[in-house]
Formats: sequence, C-alpha cells, structure tokens
Amino acid sequence: MQTNFSARQLRDPEIAEAAAIIGTCVHYGFCTNTCPTYVLTRDENESPRGRIDLIRAMLERGGAPDARTVRHLDNCLSCLSCMTTCAVKVDYVHLIDRARAHIERHFRRPLADRVLRFLLAKTIPEPKRLLRAMQAARFARPLRGLLPVRLKAMLDMVPDRADAKILAPQVFKAEGMRRKRVALLAGCAQQALSGNINAATIRLLTRHGCEVVVAQGGGCCGSLTLHMGREREAKASARCNVAAWTREIEGEGLDAIVVNASGCGTTVKDYGHLFAQDECASAARRVASLARDVSEVLCELGLPVQVATRAWRVAYHDPCSMQHGQRVTREPRALLAAAGFRIADVPEGHFCCGSAGTYNLLQPQTAETLGRRKAGHVASTDPDIVATGNIGCIMQLRRYLDIPVVHSVELLDWATGGPRPPALEGRILREPAQEKSVPGAPAEGAANDIGIW
Amino acid sequence: MNAPAKAFDDFFSDIQSALGADAVNRSDETILRYGENTMPGGDRPPAGVVYPGSTADVQAIVRAANTHRVPLYPISTGNNIGLGSRSASSAGQVVIDLGRRMNRILEVDERMGFAVVEPGVSYQAMYDELVRRGDKWMLDVTSGPPQGGMLGNALDKGAGYTPYFDHFGFSCGMEVVLGSGEVLRTGDGSLDRDTLVNWHTSKYSFGPILDGLFTQSNYGIVTRMGVWLLPRPPVVQSFHFAFPDDGDLEEIVELCRPLKLSNFVPTLFRVANDLYLSGSEGESPDYRVSRGKRSLPDDARRALREKVGVGAWNVSGAFYGPSAAAVEPMIQRVRDHFGKSGKARYISHDEAKAIPPLQVSINAFSGIPSLGELGLLKWRPGGGNIWFTPGTPMDGRLANEFQTIGRSIHAEFGMDYMVMNVCGPRFARGLHVMTFNREDKDECARADACYRKLSESFASRGVFVGRAPLDYHAMHMGQTMESFRAACSGIKRALDPNGVIAPGRYGIA
Repeated sequence: MQTNFSARQLRDPEIAEAAAIIGTCVHYGFCTNTCPTYVLTRDENESPRGRIDLIRAMLERGGAPDARTVRHLDNCLSCLSCMTTCAVKVDYVHLIDRARAHIERHFRRPLADRVLRFLLAKTIPEPKRLLRAMQAARFARPLRGLLPVRLKAMLDMVPDRADAKILAPQVFKAEGMRRKRVALLAGCAQQALSGNINAATIRLLTRHGCEVVVAQGGGCCGSLTLHMGREREAKASARCNVAAWTREIEGEGLDAIVVNASGCGTTVKDYGHLFAQDECASAARRVASLARDVSEVLCELGLPVQVATRAWRVAYHDPCSMQHGQRVTREPRALLAAAGFRIADVPEGHFCCGSAGTYNLLQPQTAETLGRRKAGHVASTDPDIVATGNIGCIMQLRRYLDIPVVHSVELLDWATGGPRPPALEGRILREPAQEKSVPGAPAEGAANDIGIW
Repeated sequence: MNAPAKAFDDFFSDIQSALGADAVNRSDETILRYGENTMPGGDRPPAGVVYPGSTADVQAIVRAANTHRVPLYPISTGNNIGLGSRSASSAGQVVIDLGRRMNRILEVDERMGFAVVEPGVSYQAMYDELVRRGDKWMLDVTSGPPQGGMLGNALDKGAGYTPYFDHFGFSCGMEVVLGSGEVLRTGDGSLDRDTLVNWHTSKYSFGPILDGLFTQSNYGIVTRMGVWLLPRPPVVQSFHFAFPDDGDLEEIVELCRPLKLSNFVPTLFRVANDLYLSGSEGESPDYRVSRGKRSLPDDARRALREKVGVGAWNVSGAFYGPSAAAVEPMIQRVRDHFGKSGKARYISHDEAKAIPPLQVSINAFSGIPSLGELGLLKWRPGGGNIWFTPGTPMDGRLANEFQTIGRSIHAEFGMDYMVMNVCGPRFARGLHVMTFNREDKDECARADACYRKLSESFASRGVFVGRAPLDYHAMHMGQTMESFRAACSGIKRALDPNGVIAPGRYGIA
C-alpha cells in the first residue's frame, strides 16, 4: 500500500515504522477470511486491511482521528489471526498498537468511556485492587438492571467465587537436583481470578527440577494497558519487570522467564520492540530472549511418567496470543498427550474466543457472539475437560460452557502428583477411555483407522 | 450487458425486499476491495455485493437479474489469488458472495466416504470437521490458501496431490441454479423423486453427464456439491530427491512416469524448481538491487538453493500405510529407482520436516491445509501475482524443451522462473508463478507481456493452459477452434438466455 507521509513525519521513528509496515500490505485479502470482526460483519473497515487503510489515513493526517476510525480500530480484537494468514507477513500487531497509542494521545473519548477505561487500566493490573473491585461488583448485582450495557456485562463477568492467591516475592527450591533456575511472571488479574494456575506452575516446575523465582519488583507485564493505547503506563509496568529480572539475571542467573498467561507471554517476548528507542533497550532484549511459555519450558524438561492415567478427552483451545502471537501450538498438546489425556482439536481454531484482554469488557456484544461461537465448537468435540493457556480465555469460555475449563498446567500438575484442579472439584467426569491419541501424529495402526490398514 | 443505473437500483431494491437489507452491500469500501485483484490489467469494482443464504436466495437473485438485465458474478470464498481474487469479469457486475452465508457442510457420510458442501466451505473448515469426527477421513487439499473454497476450486478445475487429487473428478452430484433461475440436479440427483440415494455416490447413471458443463464456465451457479473422501491412512511417509542441474528435469520426468503409470507411488509427484521452493522463504535477494528488471542471476539462485537446502529441481512424493516400517520397503524401492541417475540426493521424511517448503509437500500429501506456500506471493513486493499453467506430456525431452522456452521468455521480460510440475502418469501440469510489483507500471507491463508471450509460444507448440487469470480468459478462448467457441456460446444461450451469469468469464459472453 502506498503512503503519503511528509519527510517531517517520517523523521519520527514511530511514524517511520508505521509507514514501513503499511507499505508491506498489498491487499491480497487473505486476512479477511480469518478476521473475526470481518467474518461477522463483512464490513471492509472491520477487516485488517481496511483498518490498515484507516490507520494510514489517520497517521498521515495526524492529530485527532474521527470517531468512525476510532470505532473500527476499537473493534479490532488484536487476536493477530491476520498475521498468521497474511502472505506477506504484515507486522499488524505493532501497527495497531501504534494506532491505539495515537488515539489515546489525540482523541477525546466521551466521558463515560474515559472513566471506564481509566478504571480498567488502574484496576485489572493490580490484583489486590481487582479483588476489591470484584467484591464490590458482587454487592452491586442487585442493581444490575439499572446499569448501562457495558457495566452489566462487566458485572456478569465477575465470577461468584475467585480462587485468589497473590504471590509475594520469593524463591521456590527445586525438588532434587536443580536443572534450571527460572523466573515466573506472577502476573496480575490471573492471581486474583485463579491462584491455582501459579501454584500448579510452581509445583510442576519445582517437581521437574526448576528453582522458581518470583522476583522482587515484578508485576503486570503491561499487556492490558498497551493494547488500550496507554503506552506510558504499559512501559512503566514493563520497565519494572525488566529491572526485576535483570537483577536476577545478573545475580544468580536465569535460564528462562516463565509466563503462564499467553497474552502476557506475547508482550514479554516483545519487550525488545517496546523499548527499542529506550535506554533499557539492551536489557529488554535480553529479558525478551529468555521469555518462554510454560509449555515450552516443560517440553524442554520432559514430563516424567505420569503417576496416574488421565485419559479423559481434553479439548485444547489455542489462545490467540499463543497460536498467532507466539506460534506455540505443538507443546501444550504434546505435554497433555504425554500425561495421558486424549486431545481434541477445536474446529475453527484460528478464531478468537472474544476474550482478548479487556475486549470482552469494552466490546461485550461482539465478545459474546464470539464466545458463544467458540463454545459451540468446543462442545462439538464432546470433551470431558477444556484446557487452554491463558486466563482471559479461561474466564471467557467458562461463561458459555458447562464443561470444566482449566489451564493446561493444572492438568499436568494433577497428572504428575499435584491436586485435582479446583474447576474439577465436585464434577463427575465420564469413565476415561483407555487409548490415547496425539493430534496430527496418529499412532501407528491408529485408532482412527476405518478398518483397512 | 450495459444496464442503466436505475436497473441496478431496482435490482438491489428487489434483493433487499426478498432477502433482507443486510443481503446487499454497496458501501464504497466494499466496492473498492471486491474490485481488487493481483493481475496486471487493473481493478474491476463491482456494482455491489449480495449475500444469499440458500439456493432459493440464489434463485431469487438470478431471477431479479433477468428481470433487470443486471450482470452477476458468483464467488465462493474469494481466495482465487493469482487468477482473479474476488474481482468480476468486468467492472460493474454484481458479485454474489456465496461464502458469507452458504458455508455449511450439509452432510458427511462416514460409511460411504463423502461430504456434501455449500460453496463457502473452505478446506480448513472441512478438515476441522473431519478431525472433529475422529480424523478417519482425508480430504484432498491444495497447497494454496486453507480458507480457499472446495467447491469453487473443483469448478475451476483445481487439483491437489493425493490419489483424490482431481477435485472435479472426485466430486459427485451438483445442485445448480441455471441462468433462467431454474434448479438443476446433476448425476443421479436428476431423478425426479424426493429420495435421492445415489446423488453423491454415482456419477454415471441415465442421461448425459452434465456436471462438466459447470466447470470453467458461466452456465449456472453451483450451490451444492458432493465430494469424495479418502480413508485417512495412519502413516503418511514422504520421500524427496534434490537434483543439482536445471537440465535434470528430463531424467526426473522419465523416472517419475513408470512410478505413476503403475501407481506404485499413490500420490502425484511435486517436481519443483529451486525458486518455487525457495520463493516462499523470503523476498528475492536480487529485487532491490535490480529493481525487478531481471531474472535472479544463476549464482544467486545457487546460493539460495544452498541456504534453503534444495536442488535445482526437487521431487516429492509419499506412501500411505499402517506404519512407517510397512512403507519403508517401498521407499527403498523408490530410492533405488532414483539412485540410478547418480545425481539424486535423497531427503528423508524426517529431514524434509525441517525444510519448510518440503513440509508444505508433506502437508499436501497428508490432506492438511497449510499456509507455507503463500510465501511465494512475497517474492517480489507490490502485490502482483498471476499463474501460467501449461501442461506437458510425461516425456522428459519435451518437458525440458518447454523448460528452455519458458526460462528464456521469463528472462526476456525480467521475470523469475518459478515452476512446479505436478506429475501424473501421462501428463504434468506446470504451475508457473509470476510474482511482480503491481505498483510498478513497467514491471506490471512486463509481467503481462511475459504471460501473453508464454501463452502464444506454448500454444504454437500444441500446449494449452489449465486454469488462467481472469485477465486472459478472452485471449485463451480466442485460442480455441471456432466450433468449440460456437458450442460454448450455444450452451450459454440455452442455459442462460439473457446472459446474466458472469458474462465474459472463461471468454464465454
């Protein structure tokens, strides 16, 4: 796509980067087929290439964008499905983030929007605040009928019971010989919503010979605020993590920085880009190079023989941040299969479940449509359990499914000696089948043979 | 067909009344984007887009088009990149986007091994459904876009690589809305009964075989089609051979022919040259230097081969079986066979998995849609892409002659020779990918001239193309004998008397 930025505009490295990205889009249109908002609406401005065109016009013009442009860009899930499909690999993620930062700087949203976004940005990244907010929301439920649509949707999203566990900075010793020393991103919202994910991760890693450090000074990765265009706040959070992990790297050393919320993992792996023009660029690149999804680290370590056969049918949902952002799809399946579970792939797996960070709070209607669509596909695989790798997806899927939804590490922990995941407590599961399967790699003489081989 | 503006307004109004307001899209952005394509001849904005949800809706659209004399242009999923994308035969036609709503898998018969699909069902959607059902059945896929439509591909005579590679050949039973608005069922579906037992299992019962009339034609809009499925083998084990020199194509073709005549190798052979495989791995290393004015020099081509780990020509095929051990003796026989040449470097299945363009072959042989080959579209910047698809008999000497002619014409126009010959027992289809900078007028004109000269040159030696970019449909139809053209026009008049369906597509007005 040809652009028309002035020489003065192009002296700004951020605009120069955006112009270069826009220039790579040639409108093949593959992205439209896999973009959830385009598929739902058939509106070109709700497609990646349409949005790229809107971003081009917005940045070329400079200053305050029009409300229509903002609406179409707000509607983007940042699921990055388009980046997987794009034949020329347009770097859409950095373009949409740049656009969002521009909107945040130059566009004055209606008061209600501003207040809502401010509250979300100040609450979700702070687990203690989030816990208090959820408590307040539960008290406010009787007033639900009086609330505007978005607040209603938020209220509906607050779980009846949260399994909160907020980790203090500390070191968890490896069981047996230490094979790796890793830092764990304890995260923000996840700690308030599902403390067992971190607990299971720590049990799994220590059981497999990792010393696990929750570093002093670490916190939210910055992902939520970054995708809201609040770049300054995102960088402030991220900078704390870079500093905290750099101290560990330069101290006792780190073999990896483990992230168990894939939305966060995508952002941490991209710290090098976030701080490209910053004085901590070098440290950020080093941190990013050590960032791993927990499944990647566990695959390197290898699971021991499981203590119990857990051959339940598990539908594995690929979070967008995992499949499109990090391209990590093989590892969780391999681990779950190694632990004895039978994996079912979910049809239309490239599609977002509608969670997408704060998207289901800010765009509840589209999020609900996508959530129900995803739930239908998940249910069609007739699973006993649904596993995934991102807290946002877990919360979203739980709203629309009557099947227990857990993080993969909770199942892996359970299969290797840990407790039953809280989401499975009180649930009666079907008697598991005996055979196991590995998707994409049928065992020889496989169970899927129709009887001729 | 030049309908006045009022006719279009009345047409769209009728469609909105019959199908609902959201069945019509005439926004500026939609018209702009649906007109875009990758060919040298420029964009062709439609008059608007309509979204039917059923065969009855398609009938309503066709009848309204007859009433108002408005030209239509049906698309399935619009992924026909390099051959026309979603753009119509000419500007101002109304695109019928069948993919938005008519994307249902109507039936999967796991005893008889067939599926019945609407036009919007993509390879990925069908694959997902088969996996969901236990992965017992395999669909033949292309190595193109996973979101490409099965039905549209079959009707355009598209193909894959497994034993069920011929997508039209392995389709069975269609439902078609003719240009008159009437519905036709082909094959055993023609029986005038409510119960149709053999519609999607038998092609050749009483009466003429009409199905072929709806491939590469504009006689009707196919709204439903049966597709046969292959039982998924537990193991797909591929084999690959890299040859060092361009001229090795002759020997390769001679080596492949007996293996296919006997069907000892169940898949087709993918015989791809260095640039076809390396081209998906990044932009041409020479493009920014030469500004796209020349073919990639030989030394750069050699360097690229070494970087990617492929040869000047590369052969890929696969065996199916119950286990790797069971197919190993067959792979050994093929190795012995190719070993006779003394030039073939064997690349095993496991080694190939680490070479992305060979993994594309493995996916194709395994019936798994994949994105890898789309990388060919970024070989040169600027979004231009057309495919030239001549064929050659499986005669090594002839294949090499065509290679020499093709290389020389590509060099003459500064294009890169990126070719894969898909080899069967007697015939190979040569997929020539021309990626060019559509934003550069000179390069665009050279791509166009290159295509035209290739077409003329091959035709003068008795070779016709298979699928063709929309820009060249009229030219190719002009290469046929007069009675063929007259027959095509006669059928058009019989089935679509007002000529409302895709006038000009495939050169049939």
